[in-house]
Amino acid sequence: MSIGCRDLVVSTGNRVLLDVAGLEVGAGTTLAVLGPNGAGKSTLLRALAHLGGMSRTGDVLLDGQPATASQLRAASAAVFQRPVLQRASVLDNAAAGLRLRGTARREARQLARPWLRALGVGHLADQPARTLSGGEAQRVAIARALAVGPRVLLLDEPFTGLDATSRADLIADLRTVLHRLGAAVLLVTHDREEARALADRTALLIGGRLRQVGGTAHVLDAPADPECASLLGYTTRLPPELTGCGELLVARPERCQLLDHAASLPPNTVAIDGTVRRTVPLGGTTRVDVDTAAEPVAVLTTAEVTALPGQAVRVAVDLEHVRRIPAAVLSSSGPPPSRNAATDPMD
Amino acid sequence: MDVLVHGVLDAVRLLATGDEDTWSITALTLRISLTATAIALLLGVPAGAGLALGRFRGRRIMLAAANTGMGLPPVVVGLFVTVLLWRSGPLGELGLLYTPTAMVIAQAGIATPVVAALTAAALQQVDPDFVVQMRALGATRPRALAALLAEARLPLLAAGMAGFGAVVSEVGAAQMVGGNIEGQTRVLTTAAVLATSRGEFSLAIAFGILLLAIAFAVNLAVTIVQQRQTVRR
Repeated sequence: MSIGCRDLVVSTGNRVLLDVAGLEVGAGTTLAVLGPNGAGKSTLLRALAHLGGMSRTGDVLLDGQPATASQLRAASAAVFQRPVLQRASVLDNAAAGLRLRGTARREARQLARPWLRALGVGHLADQPARTLSGGEAQRVAIARALAVGPRVLLLDEPFTGLDATSRADLIADLRTVLHRLGAAVLLVTHDREEARALADRTALLIGGRLRQVGGTAHVLDAPADPECASLLGYTTRLPPELTGCGELLVARPERCQLLDHAASLPPNTVAIDGTVRRTVPLGGTTRVDVDTAAEPVAVLTTAEVTALPGQAVRVAVDLEHVRRIPAAVLSSSGPPPSRNAATDPMD
Repeated sequence: MDVLVHGVLDAVRLLATGDEDTWSITALTLRISLTATAIALLLGVPAGAGLALGRFRGRRIMLAAANTGMGLPPVVVGLFVTVLLWRSGPLGELGLLYTPTAMVIAQAGIATPVVAALTAAALQQVDPDFVVQMRALGATRPRALAALLAEARLPLLAAGMAGFGAVVSEVGAAQMVGGNIEGQTRVLTTAAVLATSRGEFSLAIAFGILLLAIAFAVNLAVTIVQQRQTVRR
Protein backbone atom coordinates (compact mmCIF):
# COMPACT_ATOMS: atom_id res chain seq x y z
CA MET A 1 0.00 0.00 0.00
CA SER A 2 1.28 3.47 -0.82
CA ILE A 3 0.63 6.65 1.14
CA GLY A 4 0.67 10.13 -0.22
CA CYS A 5 -1.04 13.46 -0.24
CA ARG A 6 -2.54 15.95 -2.66
CA ASP A 7 -2.74 19.69 -2.06
CA LEU A 8 -2.14 19.18 1.64
CA VAL A 9 -2.17 22.50 3.50
CA VAL A 10 -1.88 22.77 7.28
CA SER A 11 -2.30 26.11 8.95
CA THR A 12 -2.71 27.66 12.35
CA GLY A 13 -4.51 30.98 12.47
CA ASN A 14 -3.38 32.85 9.37
CA ARG A 15 -0.02 31.10 9.22
CA VAL A 16 0.54 28.27 6.74
CA LEU A 17 2.73 25.62 8.37
CA LEU A 18 2.78 23.19 5.48
CA ASP A 19 1.87 23.34 1.81
CA VAL A 20 2.59 20.17 -0.12
CA ALA A 21 1.07 19.76 -3.56
CA GLY A 22 1.87 16.10 -3.93
CA LEU A 23 3.90 13.34 -2.37
CA GLU A 24 3.86 9.57 -2.60
CA VAL A 25 5.65 6.81 -0.76
CA GLY A 26 5.31 3.46 -2.47
CA ALA A 27 4.82 0.10 -0.78
CA GLY A 28 8.11 -1.41 0.31
CA THR A 29 9.98 1.87 -0.08
CA THR A 30 11.26 4.41 2.42
CA LEU A 31 11.08 8.14 1.90
CA ALA A 32 13.12 10.38 4.16
CA VAL A 33 11.77 13.86 4.72
CA LEU A 34 14.79 15.95 5.55
CA GLY A 35 14.49 19.46 6.88
CA PRO A 36 15.83 21.89 9.45
CA ASN A 37 14.10 22.52 12.78
CA GLY A 38 10.70 24.13 12.28
CA ALA A 39 10.46 23.13 8.61
CA GLY A 40 7.15 21.33 9.15
CA LYS A 41 8.48 17.75 9.08
CA SER A 42 6.53 16.53 12.11
CA THR A 43 3.51 18.52 10.95
CA LEU A 44 3.63 16.63 7.65
CA LEU A 45 3.85 13.28 9.42
CA ARG A 46 0.98 14.09 11.76
CA ALA A 47 -1.12 15.47 8.94
CA LEU A 48 -0.59 12.28 6.93
CA ALA A 49 -1.75 10.25 9.93
CA HIS A 50 -4.66 12.63 10.66
CA LEU A 51 -3.24 13.21 14.13
CA GLY A 52 -3.56 16.37 16.18
CA GLY A 53 -6.09 19.13 16.05
CA MET A 54 -4.62 20.97 13.10
CA SER A 55 -6.53 22.94 10.52
CA ARG A 56 -5.95 20.88 7.41
CA THR A 57 -7.14 20.93 3.82
CA GLY A 58 -6.38 18.62 0.92
CA ASP A 59 -6.32 14.85 0.75
CA VAL A 60 -4.24 12.12 2.28
CA LEU A 61 -4.10 9.25 -0.17
CA LEU A 62 -3.83 5.51 0.33
CA ASP A 63 -3.07 3.70 -2.90
CA GLY A 64 -3.83 6.94 -4.68
CA GLN A 65 -7.35 7.27 -3.27
CA PRO A 66 -8.46 9.82 -0.65
CA ALA A 67 -8.45 8.09 2.72
CA THR A 68 -10.63 8.62 5.77
CA ALA A 69 -9.19 8.96 9.27
CA SER A 70 -10.31 5.46 10.20
CA GLN A 71 -8.71 3.97 7.07
CA LEU A 72 -5.47 5.76 7.91
CA ARG A 73 -5.72 4.61 11.51
CA ALA A 74 -6.10 1.00 10.39
CA ALA A 75 -3.28 1.16 7.85
CA SER A 76 -0.61 3.08 9.73
CA ALA A 77 1.43 3.16 12.89
CA ALA A 78 3.73 5.94 14.04
CA VAL A 79 6.84 6.20 16.19
CA PHE A 80 7.68 9.57 17.68
CA GLN A 81 10.88 11.19 18.90
CA ARG A 82 10.20 10.27 22.50
CA PRO A 83 9.10 6.72 23.20
CA VAL A 84 5.82 7.15 25.08
CA LEU A 85 5.48 3.84 26.89
CA GLN A 86 2.77 2.62 29.21
CA ARG A 87 3.09 1.68 32.86
CA ALA A 88 3.43 -2.01 32.04
CA SER A 89 5.96 -4.65 31.09
CA VAL A 90 8.04 -4.37 27.95
CA LEU A 91 6.05 -7.20 26.35
CA ASP A 92 2.71 -5.60 27.16
CA ASN A 93 3.99 -2.34 25.71
CA ALA A 94 5.03 -4.08 22.54
CA ALA A 95 1.58 -5.65 22.40
CA ALA A 96 -0.22 -2.37 23.15
CA GLY A 97 -0.85 -1.40 19.53
CA LEU A 98 -2.49 -4.75 18.85
CA ARG A 99 -4.51 -4.52 22.08
CA LEU A 100 -5.72 -1.05 21.06
CA ARG A 101 -6.93 -2.61 17.80
CA GLY A 102 -8.93 -5.21 19.66
CA THR A 103 -6.58 -8.22 19.62
CA ALA A 104 -6.86 -10.51 22.65
CA ARG A 105 -4.07 -10.17 25.21
CA ARG A 106 -2.56 -13.61 24.73
CA GLU A 107 -2.52 -13.35 20.94
CA ALA A 108 -1.17 -9.79 21.06
CA ARG A 109 1.71 -10.92 23.27
CA GLN A 110 2.49 -13.81 20.92
CA LEU A 111 2.53 -11.52 17.91
CA ALA A 112 4.63 -8.85 19.64
CA ARG A 113 7.37 -11.08 21.05
CA PRO A 114 9.17 -11.75 17.71
CA TRP A 115 9.36 -8.01 17.03
CA LEU A 116 11.00 -7.42 20.39
CA ARG A 117 13.57 -10.05 19.45
CA ALA A 118 14.06 -8.49 16.01
CA LEU A 119 14.78 -5.15 17.65
CA GLY A 120 17.22 -6.74 20.09
CA VAL A 121 15.16 -6.30 23.26
CA GLY A 122 13.53 -9.73 23.49
CA HIS A 123 15.44 -10.48 26.67
CA LEU A 124 13.78 -7.49 28.39
CA ALA A 125 10.21 -8.68 27.67
CA ASP A 126 9.24 -9.21 31.31
CA GLN A 127 10.88 -6.08 32.68
CA PRO A 128 8.88 -2.99 33.61
CA ALA A 129 9.10 -0.51 30.73
CA ARG A 130 9.94 2.31 33.13
CA THR A 131 13.32 0.74 33.87
CA LEU A 132 14.57 0.89 30.26
CA SER A 133 17.27 3.18 28.92
CA GLY A 134 16.36 5.68 26.21
CA GLY A 135 17.69 3.45 23.44
CA GLU A 136 15.92 0.37 24.75
CA ALA A 137 12.67 2.28 25.17
CA GLN A 138 12.84 3.52 21.58
CA ARG A 139 13.44 -0.03 20.38
CA VAL A 140 10.32 -1.14 22.27
CA ALA A 141 8.34 1.74 20.76
CA ILE A 142 9.43 0.68 17.27
CA ALA A 143 8.61 -2.98 18.01
CA ARG A 144 5.17 -1.85 19.23
CA ALA A 145 4.52 -0.07 15.94
CA LEU A 146 5.83 -2.94 13.82
CA ALA A 147 3.80 -5.51 15.75
CA VAL A 148 0.52 -4.16 14.40
CA GLY A 149 1.71 -5.06 10.90
CA PRO A 150 1.34 -1.56 9.50
CA ARG A 151 1.16 -1.10 5.77
CA VAL A 152 2.32 2.45 6.39
CA LEU A 153 4.99 3.21 8.99
CA LEU A 154 5.60 6.78 10.06
CA LEU A 155 8.85 7.50 11.89
CA ASP A 156 9.30 10.94 13.45
CA GLU A 157 12.98 11.40 14.24
CA PRO A 158 13.12 8.10 16.15
CA PHE A 159 16.88 8.32 16.75
CA THR A 160 16.88 11.72 18.45
CA GLY A 161 18.40 11.66 21.90
CA LEU A 162 20.23 8.36 21.44
CA ASP A 163 23.97 8.12 21.91
CA ALA A 164 26.05 7.50 18.78
CA THR A 165 26.52 3.78 19.36
CA SER A 166 22.87 3.07 20.20
CA ARG A 167 21.83 5.12 17.20
CA ALA A 168 24.10 3.28 14.79
CA ASP A 169 22.99 -0.11 16.14
CA LEU A 170 19.31 0.82 15.97
CA ILE A 171 19.63 2.15 12.41
CA ALA A 172 21.22 -1.13 11.35
CA ASP A 173 18.53 -3.22 13.05
CA LEU A 174 15.76 -1.00 11.70
CA ARG A 175 17.08 -1.27 8.16
CA THR A 176 16.86 -5.05 8.42
CA VAL A 177 13.30 -5.11 9.79
CA LEU A 178 12.02 -2.48 7.36
CA HIS A 179 13.23 -4.64 4.51
CA ARG A 180 11.24 -7.52 5.99
CA LEU A 181 8.12 -5.41 6.64
CA GLY A 182 7.44 -4.31 3.07
CA ALA A 183 5.49 -1.26 4.22
CA ALA A 184 5.55 2.27 2.88
CA VAL A 185 7.81 4.08 5.34
CA LEU A 186 8.07 7.81 5.87
CA LEU A 187 11.07 8.83 7.96
CA VAL A 188 11.19 12.38 9.23
CA THR A 189 14.69 13.45 10.14
CA HIS A 190 17.14 16.32 10.13
CA ASP A 191 20.10 13.99 9.77
CA ARG A 192 21.47 13.29 6.30
CA GLU A 193 23.18 10.11 7.41
CA GLU A 194 19.89 8.61 8.65
CA ALA A 195 18.35 9.36 5.27
CA ARG A 196 21.34 7.87 3.50
CA ALA A 197 21.20 4.72 5.63
CA LEU A 198 17.47 4.04 5.45
CA ALA A 199 15.78 5.83 2.60
CA ASP A 200 15.43 4.96 -1.07
CA ARG A 201 14.16 8.45 -1.77
CA THR A 202 14.56 11.74 0.03
CA ALA A 203 12.47 14.88 0.08
CA LEU A 204 13.83 18.20 1.30
CA LEU A 205 11.28 20.21 3.26
CA ILE A 206 12.09 23.83 4.03
CA GLY A 207 9.63 26.42 5.29
CA GLY A 208 6.73 23.97 4.96
CA ARG A 209 7.34 23.36 1.27
CA LEU A 210 9.01 20.52 -0.59
CA ARG A 211 12.03 21.86 -2.43
CA GLN A 212 13.46 18.70 -3.84
CA VAL A 213 12.34 15.08 -4.14
CA GLY A 214 14.29 12.22 -5.63
CA GLY A 215 16.61 9.31 -5.10
CA THR A 216 18.48 9.76 -1.84
CA ALA A 217 21.96 9.64 -3.36
CA HIS A 218 21.03 12.20 -5.99
CA VAL A 219 19.20 14.61 -3.68
CA LEU A 220 21.92 14.58 -1.04
CA ASP A 221 24.55 15.27 -3.66
CA ALA A 222 22.84 17.83 -5.88
CA PRO A 223 21.18 20.70 -4.01
CA ALA A 224 18.68 22.58 -6.12
CA ASP A 225 18.85 25.94 -4.39
CA PRO A 226 20.95 27.75 -1.76
CA GLU A 227 18.75 26.69 1.17
CA CYS A 228 18.80 23.06 0.11
CA ALA A 229 22.57 23.38 -0.22
CA SER A 230 22.82 24.71 3.31
CA LEU A 231 20.58 21.90 4.62
CA LEU A 232 22.76 19.31 2.89
CA GLY A 233 25.98 20.69 4.38
CA TYR A 234 27.14 22.72 1.37
CA THR A 235 27.50 25.77 3.57
CA THR A 236 30.54 27.37 1.99
CA ARG A 237 29.26 29.65 -0.75
CA LEU A 238 31.42 30.98 -3.56
CA PRO A 239 29.27 33.76 -5.07
CA PRO A 240 29.34 34.53 -8.81
CA GLU A 241 30.82 38.00 -8.31
CA LEU A 242 33.97 36.45 -6.77
CA THR A 243 34.38 33.40 -8.96
CA GLY A 244 33.37 34.97 -12.24
CA CYS A 245 31.03 32.02 -12.94
CA GLY A 246 27.44 32.67 -13.82
CA GLU A 247 26.32 30.34 -11.05
CA LEU A 248 26.55 30.16 -7.30
CA LEU A 249 29.11 27.54 -6.36
CA VAL A 250 28.69 25.75 -3.05
CA ALA A 251 30.92 23.28 -1.25
CA ARG A 252 31.25 21.51 2.04
CA PRO A 253 33.65 23.39 4.36
CA GLU A 254 35.64 20.23 4.89
CA ARG A 255 36.29 20.05 1.15
CA CYS A 256 37.82 23.55 1.06
CA GLN A 257 41.54 24.21 1.23
CA LEU A 258 43.24 27.22 2.75
CA LEU A 259 46.13 28.51 0.59
CA ASP A 260 48.59 31.34 0.87
CA HIS A 261 47.33 34.38 -1.06
CA ALA A 262 50.24 34.17 -3.47
CA ALA A 263 50.04 30.41 -3.99
CA SER A 264 49.36 29.17 -7.48
CA LEU A 265 46.14 27.25 -7.89
CA PRO A 266 46.21 23.49 -8.35
CA PRO A 267 44.53 22.34 -11.59
CA ASN A 268 40.74 21.93 -11.63
CA THR A 269 40.15 24.15 -8.64
CA VAL A 270 38.21 27.32 -8.08
CA ALA A 271 39.33 29.88 -5.53
CA ILE A 272 38.35 33.15 -3.94
CA ASP A 273 40.51 35.60 -2.02
CA GLY A 274 39.89 36.89 1.45
CA THR A 275 41.38 37.61 4.85
CA VAL A 276 41.30 35.40 7.91
CA ARG A 277 38.85 36.65 10.51
CA ARG A 278 39.44 33.94 13.11
CA THR A 279 40.61 30.37 13.57
CA VAL A 280 38.77 28.04 15.93
CA PRO A 281 40.35 24.72 16.96
CA LEU A 282 37.65 21.98 17.09
CA GLY A 283 39.55 18.99 18.35
CA GLY A 284 40.89 17.13 15.31
CA THR A 285 39.94 19.92 12.90
CA THR A 286 40.25 23.67 12.73
CA ARG A 287 37.59 26.01 11.49
CA VAL A 288 38.81 29.09 9.70
CA ASP A 289 36.40 31.93 8.99
CA VAL A 290 37.49 34.02 6.04
CA ASP A 291 36.06 37.41 5.12
CA THR A 292 35.69 37.97 1.39
CA ALA A 293 34.48 40.90 -0.66
CA ALA A 294 31.02 39.32 -0.78
CA GLU A 295 30.34 37.27 2.33
CA PRO A 296 32.26 35.30 4.94
CA VAL A 297 33.12 31.69 4.12
CA ALA A 298 34.18 28.88 6.41
CA VAL A 299 36.86 26.26 5.91
CA LEU A 300 37.25 23.11 7.99
CA THR A 301 40.66 21.59 7.78
CA THR A 302 42.66 18.90 9.51
CA ALA A 303 45.93 20.51 8.33
CA GLU A 304 47.92 22.78 10.58
CA VAL A 305 46.72 26.37 10.20
CA THR A 306 49.46 28.97 10.37
CA ALA A 307 47.49 31.90 8.99
CA LEU A 308 46.76 34.61 11.53
CA PRO A 309 43.70 36.86 11.72
CA GLY A 310 43.98 39.65 9.17
CA GLN A 311 46.25 37.65 6.88
CA ALA A 312 45.38 37.41 3.18
CA VAL A 313 44.53 33.86 2.04
CA ARG A 314 42.84 31.99 -0.77
CA VAL A 315 40.03 29.53 -0.28
CA ALA A 316 40.23 26.84 -2.94
CA VAL A 317 37.92 23.96 -3.79
CA ASP A 318 38.46 21.12 -6.19
CA LEU A 319 35.83 21.40 -8.92
CA GLU A 320 34.85 17.80 -8.21
CA HIS A 321 33.54 18.92 -4.82
CA VAL A 322 31.75 22.00 -6.06
CA ARG A 323 28.00 22.01 -6.68
CA ARG A 324 26.41 24.60 -8.93
CA ILE A 325 23.20 26.52 -8.24
CA PRO A 326 21.92 27.98 -11.52
CA ALA A 327 21.51 31.74 -11.75
CA ALA A 328 17.86 31.26 -12.62
CA VAL A 329 17.23 29.81 -9.16
CA LEU A 330 19.14 32.64 -7.51
CA SER A 331 17.19 35.32 -9.33
CA SER A 332 13.79 33.77 -8.65
CA SER A 333 11.96 35.54 -5.87
CA GLY A 334 11.69 33.31 -2.83
CA PRO A 335 11.78 29.56 -2.65
CA PRO A 336 10.23 27.45 -5.39
CA PRO A 337 6.84 26.19 -4.28
CA SER A 338 6.35 22.49 -3.73
CA ARG A 339 4.21 22.31 -6.83
CA ASN A 340 7.41 22.87 -8.79
CA ALA A 341 9.63 20.82 -6.52
CA ALA A 342 12.83 19.94 -8.26
CA THR A 343 13.09 16.26 -9.02
CA ASP A 344 15.82 14.08 -10.32
CA PRO A 345 15.52 12.46 -13.73
CA MET A 346 14.67 9.11 -12.16
CA ASP A 347 11.37 10.32 -10.78
CA MET B 1 -9.23 8.22 80.29
CA ASP B 2 -12.03 6.10 81.68
CA VAL B 3 -14.40 7.62 79.14
CA LEU B 4 -12.12 6.57 76.30
CA VAL B 5 -11.70 3.04 77.65
CA HIS B 6 -15.45 2.72 78.16
CA GLY B 7 -16.01 4.03 74.63
CA VAL B 8 -13.79 1.35 73.14
CA LEU B 9 -15.37 -1.35 75.30
CA ASP B 10 -18.89 -0.18 74.41
CA ALA B 11 -18.03 -0.23 70.73
CA VAL B 12 -16.78 -3.79 70.99
CA ARG B 13 -19.88 -4.75 72.99
CA LEU B 14 -22.22 -3.07 70.49
CA LEU B 15 -20.62 -4.90 67.59
CA ALA B 16 -20.22 -8.19 69.40
CA THR B 17 -23.80 -8.27 70.63
CA GLY B 18 -24.99 -7.46 67.15
CA ASP B 19 -26.85 -4.36 68.22
CA GLU B 20 -29.37 -3.90 65.44
CA ASP B 21 -29.46 -0.11 65.51
CA THR B 22 -25.69 0.16 65.32
CA TRP B 23 -25.48 -2.23 62.40
CA SER B 24 -28.28 -0.47 60.53
CA ILE B 25 -26.60 2.91 61.07
CA THR B 26 -23.30 1.44 59.88
CA ALA B 27 -24.94 -0.15 56.85
CA LEU B 28 -26.71 3.11 55.94
CA THR B 29 -23.45 5.03 56.33
CA LEU B 30 -21.72 2.65 53.97
CA ARG B 31 -24.58 2.65 51.49
CA ILE B 32 -24.83 6.43 51.33
CA SER B 33 -21.09 7.09 51.24
CA LEU B 34 -20.28 4.43 48.66
CA THR B 35 -23.22 5.46 46.45
CA ALA B 36 -22.19 9.11 46.69
CA THR B 37 -18.59 8.19 45.88
CA ALA B 38 -19.69 6.12 42.89
CA ILE B 39 -21.76 9.02 41.57
CA ALA B 40 -18.85 11.39 42.20
CA LEU B 41 -16.59 9.09 40.19
CA LEU B 42 -19.11 8.87 37.36
CA LEU B 43 -19.37 12.65 37.20
CA GLY B 44 -15.95 13.70 38.41
CA VAL B 45 -13.72 11.49 36.24
CA PRO B 46 -15.20 12.68 32.91
CA ALA B 47 -15.28 16.26 34.19
CA GLY B 48 -11.66 16.01 35.33
CA ALA B 49 -10.68 14.44 32.01
CA GLY B 50 -12.40 17.28 30.16
CA LEU B 51 -10.55 19.83 32.27
CA ALA B 52 -7.22 18.07 31.78
CA LEU B 53 -7.49 17.38 28.06
CA GLY B 54 -9.96 19.93 26.73
CA ARG B 55 -8.91 23.05 24.88
CA PHE B 56 -11.73 25.50 25.49
CA ARG B 57 -12.18 29.03 26.72
CA GLY B 58 -12.47 29.25 30.49
CA ARG B 59 -10.73 25.92 31.11
CA ARG B 60 -8.29 27.37 33.62
CA ILE B 61 -11.05 29.12 35.50
CA MET B 62 -13.02 25.89 35.68
CA LEU B 63 -9.91 24.03 36.82
CA ALA B 64 -9.39 26.63 39.54
CA ALA B 65 -13.06 26.26 40.50
CA ALA B 66 -12.68 22.48 40.76
CA ASN B 67 -9.58 22.92 42.90
CA THR B 68 -11.50 25.34 45.10
CA GLY B 69 -14.28 22.76 45.29
CA MET B 70 -11.89 20.39 47.01
CA GLY B 71 -12.25 22.60 50.05
CA LEU B 72 -16.00 23.09 49.68
CA PRO B 73 -17.56 23.40 53.17
CA PRO B 74 -20.11 20.55 53.57
CA VAL B 75 -22.45 22.95 55.35
CA VAL B 76 -22.61 25.14 52.22
CA VAL B 77 -23.42 22.12 50.07
CA GLY B 78 -25.99 21.01 52.63
CA LEU B 79 -27.58 24.43 52.61
CA PHE B 80 -27.72 24.52 48.81
CA VAL B 81 -29.25 21.03 48.55
CA THR B 82 -31.72 21.82 51.33
CA VAL B 83 -32.92 24.94 49.50
CA LEU B 84 -33.24 22.94 46.28
CA LEU B 85 -35.23 20.16 47.92
CA TRP B 86 -37.24 22.33 50.31
CA ARG B 87 -40.96 21.85 49.94
CA SER B 88 -41.31 25.22 48.16
CA GLY B 89 -37.95 24.89 46.39
CA PRO B 90 -37.29 24.08 42.72
CA LEU B 91 -37.22 20.32 43.38
CA GLY B 92 -39.54 20.32 46.37
CA GLU B 93 -42.19 18.27 44.60
CA LEU B 94 -39.89 15.28 44.59
CA GLY B 95 -40.21 15.05 48.37
CA LEU B 96 -36.60 14.01 48.82
CA LEU B 97 -35.61 16.21 51.75
CA TYR B 98 -34.72 14.20 54.89
CA THR B 99 -34.25 11.00 52.90
CA PRO B 100 -31.08 8.97 52.23
CA THR B 101 -31.38 10.10 48.58
CA ALA B 102 -31.00 13.72 49.65
CA MET B 103 -27.91 12.72 51.66
CA VAL B 104 -26.46 10.94 48.61
CA ILE B 105 -27.08 14.05 46.48
CA ALA B 106 -25.37 16.31 49.00
CA GLN B 107 -22.43 13.99 49.53
CA ALA B 108 -21.97 13.47 45.80
CA GLY B 109 -21.93 17.27 45.54
CA ILE B 110 -19.10 17.35 48.07
CA ALA B 111 -17.07 14.55 46.52
CA THR B 112 -17.45 15.38 42.81
CA PRO B 113 -15.16 18.45 42.81
CA VAL B 114 -12.60 16.47 44.80
CA VAL B 115 -12.64 13.64 42.26
CA ALA B 116 -12.69 16.04 39.29
CA ALA B 117 -9.76 18.11 40.52
CA LEU B 118 -7.65 15.07 41.43
CA THR B 119 -8.54 13.37 38.12
CA ALA B 120 -7.44 16.45 36.20
CA ALA B 121 -4.18 16.52 38.17
CA ALA B 122 -3.67 12.78 37.61
CA LEU B 123 -4.20 12.98 33.85
CA GLN B 124 -2.01 16.04 33.50
CA GLN B 125 0.85 14.07 35.00
CA VAL B 126 0.72 11.56 32.15
CA ASP B 127 2.93 12.29 29.14
CA PRO B 128 1.16 14.97 27.05
CA ASP B 129 1.77 12.92 23.90
CA PHE B 130 0.20 9.78 25.37
CA VAL B 131 -3.18 10.07 23.66
CA VAL B 132 -1.60 11.06 20.33
CA GLN B 133 0.72 8.06 20.57
CA MET B 134 -2.17 5.71 21.29
CA ARG B 135 -4.08 7.18 18.35
CA ALA B 136 -0.97 6.79 16.20
CA LEU B 137 -1.00 3.08 17.03
CA GLY B 138 -4.51 2.74 15.69
CA ALA B 139 -6.68 3.43 18.74
CA THR B 140 -10.08 5.02 18.31
CA ARG B 141 -10.61 8.10 20.47
CA PRO B 142 -12.58 6.22 23.18
CA ARG B 143 -9.94 3.48 23.30
CA ALA B 144 -7.16 6.05 23.55
CA LEU B 145 -8.97 7.76 26.43
CA ALA B 146 -9.52 4.42 28.15
CA ALA B 147 -5.79 3.72 27.80
CA LEU B 148 -5.08 7.13 29.33
CA LEU B 149 -7.32 6.39 32.32
CA ALA B 150 -5.65 3.00 32.74
CA GLU B 151 -2.25 4.69 32.64
CA ALA B 152 -3.34 7.06 35.42
CA ARG B 153 -5.09 4.35 37.43
CA LEU B 154 -2.97 4.78 40.55
CA PRO B 155 -3.66 8.48 41.08
CA LEU B 156 -7.27 7.86 39.99
CA LEU B 157 -7.65 5.34 42.79
CA ALA B 158 -6.28 7.98 45.12
CA ALA B 159 -8.93 10.38 43.79
CA GLY B 160 -11.61 7.81 44.62
CA MET B 161 -10.19 7.35 48.12
CA ALA B 162 -10.12 11.10 48.68
CA GLY B 163 -13.73 11.37 47.50
CA PHE B 164 -14.85 8.61 49.84
CA GLY B 165 -12.89 10.12 52.70
CA ALA B 166 -14.57 13.48 52.12
CA VAL B 167 -18.10 12.05 52.36
CA VAL B 168 -17.81 9.34 54.98
CA SER B 169 -16.44 11.79 57.52
CA GLU B 170 -18.66 14.80 56.87
CA VAL B 171 -21.50 15.68 59.21
CA GLY B 172 -22.78 19.11 58.22
CA ALA B 173 -24.56 18.24 55.00
CA ALA B 174 -25.76 14.86 56.29
CA GLN B 175 -27.36 16.57 59.27
CA MET B 176 -28.96 19.34 57.21
CA VAL B 177 -30.46 17.33 54.36
CA GLY B 178 -30.97 14.05 56.23
CA GLY B 179 -32.30 15.40 59.49
CA ASN B 180 -30.70 12.58 61.53
CA ILE B 181 -34.00 10.66 61.68
CA GLU B 182 -33.63 7.49 63.66
CA GLY B 183 -33.94 4.39 61.52
CA GLN B 184 -34.10 6.43 58.32
CA THR B 185 -31.32 8.95 57.86
CA ARG B 186 -29.12 8.50 60.90
CA VAL B 187 -25.53 7.79 59.94
CA LEU B 188 -22.45 7.31 62.10
CA THR B 189 -21.35 10.95 62.02
CA THR B 190 -24.77 12.38 62.91
CA ALA B 191 -25.29 9.63 65.50
CA ALA B 192 -21.95 10.51 67.09
CA VAL B 193 -22.87 14.20 67.21
CA LEU B 194 -26.23 13.37 68.81
CA ALA B 195 -24.68 11.05 71.39
CA THR B 196 -22.08 13.72 72.25
CA SER B 197 -24.76 16.38 72.66
CA ARG B 198 -26.57 14.06 75.05
CA GLY B 199 -23.40 13.44 77.07
CA GLU B 200 -23.25 9.79 75.99
CA PHE B 201 -19.56 9.97 75.33
CA SER B 202 -18.98 6.22 75.38
CA LEU B 203 -21.56 5.74 72.66
CA ALA B 204 -20.20 8.67 70.65
CA ILE B 205 -16.69 7.24 70.84
CA ALA B 206 -18.02 3.85 69.80
CA PHE B 207 -19.58 5.42 66.69
CA GLY B 208 -16.32 7.26 66.05
CA ILE B 209 -14.30 4.06 66.22
CA LEU B 210 -16.73 2.36 63.86
CA LEU B 211 -16.41 5.28 61.47
CA LEU B 212 -12.63 5.04 61.57
CA ALA B 213 -12.81 1.30 61.03
CA ILE B 214 -15.00 1.73 57.92
CA ALA B 215 -12.77 4.43 56.48
CA PHE B 216 -9.71 2.31 57.19
CA ALA B 217 -11.23 -0.86 55.71
CA VAL B 218 -12.29 0.83 52.48
CA ASN B 219 -8.99 2.65 52.08
CA LEU B 220 -7.04 -0.49 52.95
CA ALA B 221 -8.81 -2.41 50.20
CA VAL B 222 -8.12 0.30 47.63
CA THR B 223 -4.53 0.74 48.81
CA ILE B 224 -3.87 -2.99 48.45
CA VAL B 225 -5.15 -2.85 44.87
CA GLN B 226 -3.09 0.28 44.24
CA GLN B 227 0.12 -1.17 45.62
CA ARG B 228 -0.37 -4.41 43.72
CA GLN B 229 -0.47 -2.30 40.55
CA THR B 230 2.66 -0.45 41.62
CA VAL B 231 4.59 -3.67 42.12
CA ARG B 232 3.42 -4.98 38.74
CA ARG B 233 4.47 -1.94 36.69
